[in-house]
Amino acid sequence: MEIKTIDLTKTYRLGPSEITAVNKVNFEVNEAKFVAIVGPSGSGKSTLLNLVGLNDYPTSGKIFIDDADASLLSSSKRRKIRLFRMGFVFQTFNLLPTLTALENVELPMSLADKPQKEQREKALRLLETVGLGKRLFHRPKELSMGEMQRVAIARALANEPEIIIADEPTGELDSKTAKEIIALLFDINRKEKTAVIVATHDEKIVDVADTIYTIQDGRLRLES
Amino acid sequence: MRYTSVIEEMNVFFSGQVMVVSKDTIVIQAIPITRGAFPQSLAEEIKGNIKEVEKAVPVLFITSINFEGIIQPVPPNFTIGIPVEDWGLILGLTPLKGNVGHYPTNESSNEVLVGASLADQYNWTVNKEIRVNGYKLNVTGILDTKLAILNRSIIMPLKLAQKIYTYPKSANIIAVKPIEGYSQKDLADTIEQQISYVQALTETERNDMIQPVLAQVETWNLGIQAVIFIMSLILVMTVTLMSVSERRRDFATLDAMGAPLSYVFRVVIFETSLIGVLGGILGIVFGSLAALVLASLYTNIPLAMFFPTFYEIIPPFYMCEIFLAVVFVCCLGGIIPAINATRMRIAEVLRAEY
Repeated sequence: MEIKTIDLTKTYRLGPSEITAVNKVNFEVNEAKFVAIVGPSGSGKSTLLNLVGLNDYPTSGKIFIDDADASLLSSSKRRKIRLFRMGFVFQTFNLLPTLTALENVELPMSLADKPQKEQREKALRLLETVGLGKRLFHRPKELSMGEMQRVAIARALANEPEIIIADEPTGELDSKTAKEIIALLFDINRKEKTAVIVATHDEKIVDVADTIYTIQDGRLRLES
Repeated sequence: MRYTSVIEEMNVFFSGQVMVVSKDTIVIQAIPITRGAFPQSLAEEIKGNIKEVEKAVPVLFITSINFEGIIQPVPPNFTIGIPVEDWGLILGLTPLKGNVGHYPTNESSNEVLVGASLADQYNWTVNKEIRVNGYKLNVTGILDTKLAILNRSIIMPLKLAQKIYTYPKSANIIAVKPIEGYSQKDLADTIEQQISYVQALTETERNDMIQPVLAQVETWNLGIQAVIFIMSLILVMTVTLMSVSERRRDFATLDAMGAPLSYVFRVVIFETSLIGVLGGILGIVFGSLAALVLASLYTNIPLAMFFPTFYEIIPPFYMCEIFLAVVFVCCLGGIIPAINATRMRIAEVLRAEY
């Protein structure tokens, strides 16, 4: 999957003032790259990821997914891209609290109408991969933060996406667990050839990224 | 519904006959609910003076509204005094339970028939001696009928009823049967012309008299149902909206994952339907019990006696109707929250949180 943005801008109206969260961003992600977007809180990282992940609409500018203008895609097509071609990892994990770890991982496959047997086998395999083979039937509140993020990563991988979009995946974790999660994402990137875009201010992620962007006041700059 | 059907059921009494009652008596179908007694001899007068009368039978119908000094909203039992040779006039061919016993044979006897519900309540059996207003009476049979009024009635010879309830040589109904081919309407008009202090009611008039009351009861029922429907709808909607709002992050996550809108919609509707199913079942169970307890309190009939006829009091059809209505209301109440849930976007939710 190739994602390209041209002069991507997103502004919000906050009372009388207008805030430009993302300002004329030109950005490109090619296959199987590990991209880090680094910046302080409020710099526009999450907004940019939401735009790139087709979870939000830009105020101006364009997003191209494999050369197709995303603004011309119907809501249903955008959903399908999110479901089948993208995986999301959130800072606060966003696991469904009433479902077990196994059910949380099965959910995207269920949404994609995959057969029940396949869902179960794949979910078991993914949870084994992220080291949670023994926590299958635990609900999120029975898991540690690190374990929850592992479940979230397994869930993001369920439909074999071409890209994983992770918004501050280590933001809620202690440094040891954060290291493990970074290693896991790196591993997925290298072994599964899945592109990873991570918004972060964690130096450890920066260390492993192929491409590093910095973002400040909504403006993106390529670092390396 | 049950209340109106009991009222409608009353008109099976005195079928094909004109019912003569005192002019100031309020009549609900075939039951005079205020006591307007007149001399029993009026029956002979009607028979003697009007040649179109085949038969005129005096009846004493006592509604026991005053029970142990407390006015009962629903009469718990009735006494019907009727000449022994005319049993069939009111009862038709009502059989006796288990074909045991017999109808009282002698006008001066102390023999009575009792309704099955009364017999069950007080453990009355055939040949058992019972006491009514201090008089010793002998039960000669238990009526085998589904009519609610007869089930709660003591049927006795007219003379006995007059003695027990101190209505000497009096009656409060005269059932007048016209000769064949003569209309009830014409007979009723003739009676009212000749006897100024009575009203003569044909079957149709008795029905017509009660229709406005029944219509009013039905209107009230409908009104109450509509209010309950709207209140339930608002309640379900509010609770579900709150529930959806509390879980906005979950719905937004589903949206971010690419869940189809129909999936999110179905999740919410399924939840409200489930609430409807559980609420419907619990509502029917507790509502039915509450109805029986209230009926028992109003009528002074022990609660246990309602259970054998539970499905007659609250028929399964009504239960199904109520159940479906509850599920329908819950589904309907879930629509707006479900639409709301489909509009949760991860970008907005996260922006609102941070």
